[in-house]
Amino acid sequence: MEAFGVVVIGAGPGGYPAAIRAAQLGASVALVEKEDLGGTCLNWGCIPTKCLISSSDLYARVKSAGTMGLKVEGASFDYAAMSDRKDQVVRTLRNGVKQLLKANVVKVFQGTASFQGRNRILVSPEAASAASSSEPVVIGADKTIIATGTSSAMPAFLPRHARVLESRAFLSLKSLPSSVLVLGGGVIGCEFACMLGQLGARVTVVELLEDILWGLDADVRRELRRHMEKTLGVRILTGGTLEDVSADERRVRGRVGTEWVEADVLLAAFGRKSTAEQLQLENAGLGVDERGFIAVDEYGRTQVATIYAVGDVTGGPFLAHAATSQGLVAAENACRRHLRRNETCVASCIFTSPEIGTVGLSEQEAQHQGRKIKTGKFMLGALGKALAIGEPMGFVKWVADAETDQLLGAHAIGPHATGLIAEAAVAIRAELTAAELARTVHAHPTLAEAWMEAAHALRDEPIHTIPERTRAKAGDQ
Amino acid sequence: MPRPVVMPKLGQSEEEGTLVRWLKKEGDGVAKGDVLFEIETDKALLEVESFFEGILLKIVVPEGQTVPVQTTVAFIGDPGEAVPEITVPAAKPGKGEGPRASAKVSEHPPVAAAGGEAQARAGRRIARERVPRPQERPSPPPAHPEAPSIFKISPRAARLAEECAVDPKVIVGTGPGGRIVEKDVSSYLDTKGYAHLRVTPTAKNLARKEGIDLFNLQPSDDGGRIGVADIETALAERPKPMGRMRRVIAQRLAESFRSAPHFFVTVSADLTELDSFRKELKSKGVSYTVTDFILKAVAATLEGFPAVNSTTDGEKIWWHSRIDLGLAVALEQGLVVPVLRNANKLTLADIHEQATELTARARAGKLTPGEMTGSTFTISNMGMLDVENFTAIINPGESAILAVSSLAKHPVVRDDRVVIRSLMKMTLSSDHRIIDGALAARFLNAIRNKLEEISLWRRLV
Repeated sequence: MEAFGVVVIGAGPGGYPAAIRAAQLGASVALVEKEDLGGTCLNWGCIPTKCLISSSDLYARVKSAGTMGLKVEGASFDYAAMSDRKDQVVRTLRNGVKQLLKANVVKVFQGTASFQGRNRILVSPEAASAASSSEPVVIGADKTIIATGTSSAMPAFLPRHARVLESRAFLSLKSLPSSVLVLGGGVIGCEFACMLGQLGARVTVVELLEDILWGLDADVRRELRRHMEKTLGVRILTGGTLEDVSADERRVRGRVGTEWVEADVLLAAFGRKSTAEQLQLENAGLGVDERGFIAVDEYGRTQVATIYAVGDVTGGPFLAHAATSQGLVAAENACRRHLRRNETCVASCIFTSPEIGTVGLSEQEAQHQGRKIKTGKFMLGALGKALAIGEPMGFVKWVADAETDQLLGAHAIGPHATGLIAEAAVAIRAELTAAELARTVHAHPTLAEAWMEAAHALRDEPIHTIPERTRAKAGDQ
Repeated sequence: MPRPVVMPKLGQSEEEGTLVRWLKKEGDGVAKGDVLFEIETDKALLEVESFFEGILLKIVVPEGQTVPVQTTVAFIGDPGEAVPEITVPAAKPGKGEGPRASAKVSEHPPVAAAGGEAQARAGRRIARERVPRPQERPSPPPAHPEAPSIFKISPRAARLAEECAVDPKVIVGTGPGGRIVEKDVSSYLDTKGYAHLRVTPTAKNLARKEGIDLFNLQPSDDGGRIGVADIETALAERPKPMGRMRRVIAQRLAESFRSAPHFFVTVSADLTELDSFRKELKSKGVSYTVTDFILKAVAATLEGFPAVNSTTDGEKIWWHSRIDLGLAVALEQGLVVPVLRNANKLTLADIHEQATELTARARAGKLTPGEMTGSTFTISNMGMLDVENFTAIINPGESAILAVSSLAKHPVVRDDRVVIRSLMKMTLSSDHRIIDGALAARFLNAIRNKLEEISLWRRLV
C-alpha cells in the first residue's frame, strides 16, 4: 500500500491549493479527484459562467455604444462560439492546475475516494474511465483533508426531461434558448438571468422567498431588482412556489399561484447538496450533521484527529475563495504543530448586471444583532469616473458601529463592484474606523473614491452629496 | 413633560437597590402595570411595574448599578419629548471601584402626580414605582467620591495617557509632589515600547472608551496585533460587582465557616421501601416528595435533640423551643432559605403543601424577607442534582445543617447476600462548639431510623 503524509480528496478550489501547500511544507501528498482538476468552480461554476457573462456584458455594451458616441451596426452573437471560448478558457486553467500540481510533486489519483479506515482510503476508478485506469487502489493517509464540495441539486418535484436542466447541464448547451424559466433567485439564478437577459432571451425568475438574493443588504437587493426588471426585462416572481411543472417536446410549463408560466428551458438553480455520503465516513469514525455536511472547527479540524475538511462540504459559505483559504489553513494545520484560524472576513461577489460585492454585516444583520449602527451611502451617479465610463449606476454603502466607528459591513452595486469590494474587505479585516477610511486619500478619478465619499457621508460630512443628517440607527428600529 | 421613574423603597431598612435588568428598552411603549425592570435586595429579586403609560424615553441607570432609593432611573413620556439633562457621575469601570461602590445619580424633582395611589401600593410584594412628595427631595449627591488625593496628574499628561489608552496610575510622576506631567507619560510610553504596539484603529477607540490599558493586553491575532476581540476579552475579564444576594451569601457563609468549627458525619439511609411507598401513593394520586419525608423526619428528630436546634455565640448556648426548618432553594443568582415554621407541629400533608408553595415562590423571587429569616435548623437537598455526597456550611445562627444527596441504587450486603437497594447519603455539618461527634452520630442515625421505618410513614400518611 502506497502511503502519504497528506491525502486530499477533491481537486476543487479548496482541495488543490491545500495539496500544493502541504507539499510545500514538505509532506508527501496525494490528491484524489473523480472528475476534472479544478472542481466545480473551474469547470462548471465560477469560471465558465464568468466567460459567458463577459461575452453577454460586452454584447450589451456594444449595443448601447451609441450613447458613448460609437457607431456599431448589425451587432450579433454566436452562442456556440461564446460557449467554445468558455471551454477554451476552462481547458487553459485546468491545464494550469495540472502543471502546478506536477511542479509541486503532488500525486494525482483519478477516481472516487472512500474511507476504509481513518488512515486507509480506497480509490475506485469511475466506470466510464475504467478502461484506462485499471484496478481500485488503497492508499494510506497519515492526515486527510476532505474537500469534496457540493453538487447542484435537482429537486425531486421537477420532471426528468431534456428541457429541465441544472446549472452544469445548462452550461453545455450549444445554442441559446429563446426563453428560460429560472427556478431560484439566488446567486446562480440571478447571474444566469442577467446573462440571458443581456442576450435577449425572455427570462422569468421564480423565487420562493420574499425577494431575490435574500440575505443581501435590502438597499442592494432593491437596486438590482430594479435593473433586472427595467433594463434587462427579466420577470421576477417572488414569494411563491413553482408547481405543477410539466415538460414536453415544445416547452416547459409551471404554475406560480394562479398564473401559468412557460419557457423553452427550465433552469433549476437552487441549493447545493453535500457530497459527503459517498465517502463512507463511518469507516473513519466520522459523521455528518443533519444536512449531510461535515462539522469542523475554525481550524478545519473534524471530530477525528487526523481528518480535516474544508469548503462547501463543511456547509458553507459556498464560496470558492473561502474554500481556498480554509484549504490552506487545513494544510498548515495538518503539517505543522501550530494552528491557524480560518479567516472570518470573507467577501462575496455576484456577477449580475450590475455587479454586486459585499463583505461583513448588512444593515439588517447588524440591527438584528442589536448593535447601534450608522450607515453611509454614495451614489455612483455622482462620481466623475462612473459618468465618464458611461455606467453611472448603483452605489456603495458602509455599515459602521455608532459607538466605536468600526466599519462592520460594506456593500457595493454597480460597475466593477466585485473588484471594488476588495478595499472594503481589507478595511474591515484591519478593524479600521470610518474616520480612518475617510482620511485615506483615494486617487481621482476612480470608482474607488466612492468608498471615501461614503465614509464621509457616514460621518455626516459628505463632500459630493447634499448633506443629509444620518441619524444613528438604533438596533431595534 | 416626561415623568421620572424612581428606584422604589422596598422595606424599612433598604437604603439602596441594585438595578439588575431592564425588561424594556429605550423607545419601547410602556403600559401601566408593565414590568419595567428588576431590582435586587439582599433577600430577593423583585419586579418593578410601571405606574405610567407612554414611551420609555431614557434609561438613566444602566443594569448592574446600585443607587439610593428614590433615585431617578428612567423617564417615561410621549414620543419625541425632550428628557431633562441628568448627570450620572461616571462610575468609571475599573478605576479603583470597590465592590461596594455605588453610582450616585443626581435627582431630578419629579412631578407629584398620583403619588397617593402609588403609596397605597407600597406594601405590596411587587414594588411599584413611587413618586415622592415634592418636599422630600433627597440631599444632593456627595461631590466626586473618586480620585484619591495622592494621585496628581497634569491635564496634558492625562490627555496623552487617555489618547494612547494607557493607565496613568502606574506612571511615576516627576512634577511637584509626584505630579505626573506630560514628559513622564511620553517617557513611560517610550520605555514600555508603545511605538511597537500594534493595535487596530477600532480596538484603540474601544480601549479608550472603556478605559482599558493597552499594555495589559495580549494579542490573540496571528500577526501579533491587538484587535477588537482582545479588548472584548479584557472587558469580559473585568471584575464585576457582586449582586446584593451574592454579597450577602459571601459575607454570611464566610463568617459562619470562620467562627463555627465545622465537622462532618455521613450516613447512608436505605430508602428502598420509603421510595416504593412514595410511588405507591403517587399512583393513587397522593404525591409527596422525598424532601417532604426528610423535613418531617428531621422535625420530629429535633424534638429529642435540643442541642442541635440551638444557637451559640461561643460563650452561651440558646436552646430554641420552636423548630423552624430552613430549606435551601437554589436560584440562578444564588440561593435563598425559606422557612417552614413549627415544622414539628405540621402533618406530612401540611409540610408538603407549605414546602411546595415556599419553593415555588422562592424560585419566582417573590419571598418576603420575613419568610427567609429565623430558621433554627436547615436542610440543603441536592438530590435532584445527581450527587453522591456533599457537605454544607452551617446557616449563621444555627448549630448544624443537613446535606441530602441523591437517591441511587447500590449493591448492599443483606444477610450475607448482595442485593440492590436505593440509598441516600446524608451529611450533617455540626458546630463543634456545641455538638460533639457522638451527638451528631446519634442525631443522624435517629433521622435515618425514622426514614427507614416504613410502618411510621404508613401511620403518618
